[in-house]
Amino acid sequence: MIEITGRPPELLSAREKDLIHAASCEVLETIGVKVRDPKVIETFTKTGAAMAENGRLYLRTSVVEQALASAPETIRFDAPAPEHAFTLDASAEVARFGSGGQALYLLDRSAGSWERRAAGQEDLVRLLRLCERLPYLDFVTRPVECDVPKERMDEEKARAFAANTTKPMNLANLVDPSKLQRVIEIVGSESYLSFIVCLVSSPLTVDDSAVERLRAVTERGIPVSISSCAQGGTTAPLSEAGELVQLNAEVLFGIAFVQTLNPGAPVLYRGIPLTADLFGDCSPRWCRPDSIRRLTLATELCRHYRLPCCGTAGVSDEREPNAQAIAEKALSLTYVALAGAQYINSAFGMLERVMTVAPAQYLIDNVIIETLAETLKKRHDLTARQAAQQVARAALARFGVDLGPEAESELEAQVAFIEDGREEYSRGALDRELETIGSAVETDGGSRVFMKSSRKGLRAGLLYTGERIQGELDLTCIQDDLESL
Amino acid sequence: MSERDMLEEIRRSIIMGHLDAEDEGFDGSMEGTPGTVELVEEALEARTEPQQILTVFNAAMEEVGRLFEAGEYLLPDMLASAECVGEAMDVLEPHLAGTADTQKGTFLIATVKGDLHDIGKNIVITMLKGAGYQVRDLGIDVPADDIVAAVKQHKPQYLGLSALLTTTMTEMETVIRKLKEAGITDVKVIIGGAPTSEEFAQKIGADGHCRDALEAVEKLEALRSAS
Repeated sequence: MIEITGRPPELLSAREKDLIHAASCEVLETIGVKVRDPKVIETFTKTGAAMAENGRLYLRTSVVEQALASAPETIRFDAPAPEHAFTLDASAEVARFGSGGQALYLLDRSAGSWERRAAGQEDLVRLLRLCERLPYLDFVTRPVECDVPKERMDEEKARAFAANTTKPMNLANLVDPSKLQRVIEIVGSESYLSFIVCLVSSPLTVDDSAVERLRAVTERGIPVSISSCAQGGTTAPLSEAGELVQLNAEVLFGIAFVQTLNPGAPVLYRGIPLTADLFGDCSPRWCRPDSIRRLTLATELCRHYRLPCCGTAGVSDEREPNAQAIAEKALSLTYVALAGAQYINSAFGMLERVMTVAPAQYLIDNVIIETLAETLKKRHDLTARQAAQQVARAALARFGVDLGPEAESELEAQVAFIEDGREEYSRGALDRELETIGSAVETDGGSRVFMKSSRKGLRAGLLYTGERIQGELDLTCIQDDLESL
Repeated sequence: MSERDMLEEIRRSIIMGHLDAEDEGFDGSMEGTPGTVELVEEALEARTEPQQILTVFNAAMEEVGRLFEAGEYLLPDMLASAECVGEAMDVLEPHLAGTADTQKGTFLIATVKGDLHDIGKNIVITMLKGAGYQVRDLGIDVPADDIVAAVKQHKPQYLGLSALLTTTMTEMETVIRKLKEAGITDVKVIIGGAPTSEEFAQKIGADGHCRDALEAVEKLEALRSAS
């Protein structure tokens, strides 16, 4: 846990946040969310929502407002070791960090090089034990899934957590909601648990498989992060304003569902507005300056609602630990923390766009967060821009990377891209984005609409095109821990 | 406009990814001007030889491919141009019936059960249509039994399966197993999606794996040549 003392980035003004909120409500009222699940339809039609013949449900703004009012501002996370328990307060200037994942691969250091292989249950146990040792890791989100048949996955994962962690447990996924009671029995108390559910897939479609999961945890009052992970340019508009409007509508829909089912149930806002790699294969860009900027904007929006904020930072796009990965992580962790996320997920170990975790990267990330804590402790009046640059420089220096003039100017360019807006936030501009979103959801294969409409924005420089930060890493500062891995 | 000018207009329209009059085109400035679809209709009305128009399609896509290789064009540009050709082919095809160029084969594609993601699938569809394949889109979240039934009904040469989630990629194996159980062995199954790999394709008995849509076009061309 670290205290956040720097000045928040404030990339969005209060007026811009109000405009986005209003546009998101308009999306829910007029474009609607595609729903097939009868329980979601029943829950919302009781609130006066309209269900159209085209399968879209139109949610009233009053239901959203009511949900925002009834969602609690504080959430308690207990832990098997009481000293690790904490209360998350939506108005507190404190950031806590956790692991994250569902990575497919594990990257190990062997004879001076990196070796990548499929991850499984033994790796889950190993990573949970590693999480116990890291002082800046406050909660544990499952980093990899157990490689066991689906019907055993929930129980095996719970057993691994129960035996290997004393910190608050975010199991992330629940494969079979009927196993929840058994999972609680295995870990010892439901108060140790939390989950992540993406109820609405982008663009604006309820994922049927998520409904029962969300109902099960909501009815028990277990904290749940309502997630949406849109990709500007493929599943959402490339425009950051357009993407934020859509993503916010998707998260608000999930929060409204939770609060309608069980008013006052603990819920965290988790918006992950990424960009799609339109220069390459359309994979999500998790940590390029354009994505870091958008993750910061989503955090600001969450703080605007005074909701507990599950931020996402530190997921590098790099395939293995290197200087660029450290820079990406330092910038994203600093911006998301200073923007006000109190519960930062995926902050440890993540590489290759969530596909890979590396135990060594956990150690490196612990050093980066320590550097962030020390930087903010030294000076309380740093701007986000200053803090981000200082943390990146200091973290790189701890791994033996001294930035030369070229790398220094690249770092400055990345931070400038995060800070400087390129878009107009006006009612007219948002109306055009609503038109694109409406057109995409009405078309079979909405991604084509988003991709085609991205051509203009691409040429206007909405995706960062700078270089990577180079430099050989010296891992001496984590050598002892590395050897013990 | 002379026939030569008309064909040149079609070529330019495809390169600019200008589908129709409602489309803003490459740089957002072309809305309200005739796009590829209107220009092809106009050319056919003026009795231009359909085969000549088809030649222009190929030439335009070659140029788009060159621009992409050179880094001047990005994937959305290429996709827009491929969509122009795909849509214009629907206009042109009745006039070309039976010629060799329209018989590249049928490709059936679906995102497997439990998975709502359509990005990769839709890009593949557009690119393959642009390359001259008949494509049937079964949609997203498609159960294995429905895919097998569609294969029986449409008898495609190729089947594409897409998944973005680690939890749904295993469904691809179910589809392949059910195809075998149904005695269907003459369809080539190609898989794709972020968590999939060549090794995974081999493990589940697929005929191929594609990293992206461009590789899908290349793989299909290679499979077609081999057969």
